[in-house]
Amino acid sequence: MNPVSDVAARAAEAAAPVAHSIPLYWFLVVAVVLFAIGSAGVLARRNALTVLMSVEIMLNAVNLAFLAFAREWGNMHGHVVTFFVIAVAAAEAAIGLALVLGLFRHKKSVNLDELTALRN
Amino acid sequence: MGFEQILFWLLALGVIVTSALVVLPPGGKNPLYGALLLIVSFFFMSGLYVLLFAHTMAVLQILVYAGAIMVLFTFVIMLLNLSKKELGDETRTIAKGVGVVAVVALAVKTALVIETQTLNIPAKPLPAGFGGVDAIADTLFHNYLVPFELTGVLLLVAVIGAVVLAKRTL
Amino acid sequence: MDPNYAPYVSVLACSIFVLGLGAVILILNYMLGPRRPTREKGIPYESGDEPHSKPRQRFSVKFYMTAILFLVFDLEVVFIYPWASKYSDWLKDDAFAGIAFGGMMVFVAVLTLGLVYEWKRGAMEWE
Repeated sequence: MNPVSDVAARAAEAAAPVAHSIPLYWFLVVAVVLFAIGSAGVLARRNALTVLMSVEIMLNAVNLAFLAFAREWGNMHGHVVTFFVIAVAAAEAAIGLALVLGLFRHKKSVNLDELTALRN
Repeated sequence: MGFEQILFWLLALGVIVTSALVVLPPGGKNPLYGALLLIVSFFFMSGLYVLLFAHTMAVLQILVYAGAIMVLFTFVIMLLNLSKKELGDETRTIAKGVGVVAVVALAVKTALVIETQTLNIPAKPLPAGFGGVDAIADTLFHNYLVPFELTGVLLLVAVIGAVVLAKRTL
Repeated sequence: MDPNYAPYVSVLACSIFVLGLGAVILILNYMLGPRRPTREKGIPYESGDEPHSKPRQRFSVKFYMTAILFLVFDLEVVFIYPWASKYSDWLKDDAFAGIAFGGMMVFVAVLTLGLVYEWKRGAMEWE
């Protein structure tokens, strides 16, 4: 899309904006808080299962932001991206949990601090 | 405050509290509590999706996340059946404290930035059938056909990887 | 209220009813029910066999393999569902109907490769 028509389109929309009863900003704040909870969990927890669940929380926060912007722009692209994120989350959970099983088989523990085979 | 706003804050509070408890002690100490709390949080999240008119995604959230992914988590947690010793000690180091403080600071800063940046986005009117299955099918197959095929390859890799990694018996 | 929310009023009413009913039953049971616990009543099978092993045993990894299969094919169905819902409309446009059909067939074929692999590796055998 060329920038001139883009600007014109934006101006036309600004003339008649839709007022949603719940503003975009509220959803984004919830998404930011969830993402912070998830990343704090990834940083602070050393139990592999809790870390994987924290990653799921972060993916959910991103999904919420995508859907909030999809409503704001009035198109379905955010929904399709969320669709893909769910598929990626499923693949990530399958492989991640298989790795946890392998880790437990070798170390008899799921503590990520025990993964020091490559150190030194 | 209208009914929708009250519902939003109830759902937002629910999703934040349950997600925080996944990371904080009840869930952080025992992964099974964490998994069950995460399922509750997915239900609250699905309610938020409904408030965004994302009807299909609200259903998929429960169907795929709560119904399939968390089943996998619960299976693995019960499969390993970890004792306190096998879970490992949660050490408190300075590096972790700094990391958490940095994450909180980043979140506050991000919230402040998006407040100024998003207030002037004019919301476009929603097309007919927004959030429905047919609208998703149209966008998915008209604009995202190649990513769709690549998702198939990703799922194939996930199946093969999981079988290779987990086939040997425990 | 936004008309988009209309179909969810019944969902909300049902959720509130179910949660409220559960809470009322639990609270009434707690308030009205007599509690006279004895050791005999506390064992897992009242008046039955004594438990002879600990309940905390490891599950078999076979359950995990089944759950993986379920997860992947659950996702496959989730992707097929919008396609199936919209396909009859796409048939009016021959060129795009071909693309959509071919795309879905490639997707299903790729995932069938995964199924064949699991089958050959014996991941679906229970023993």
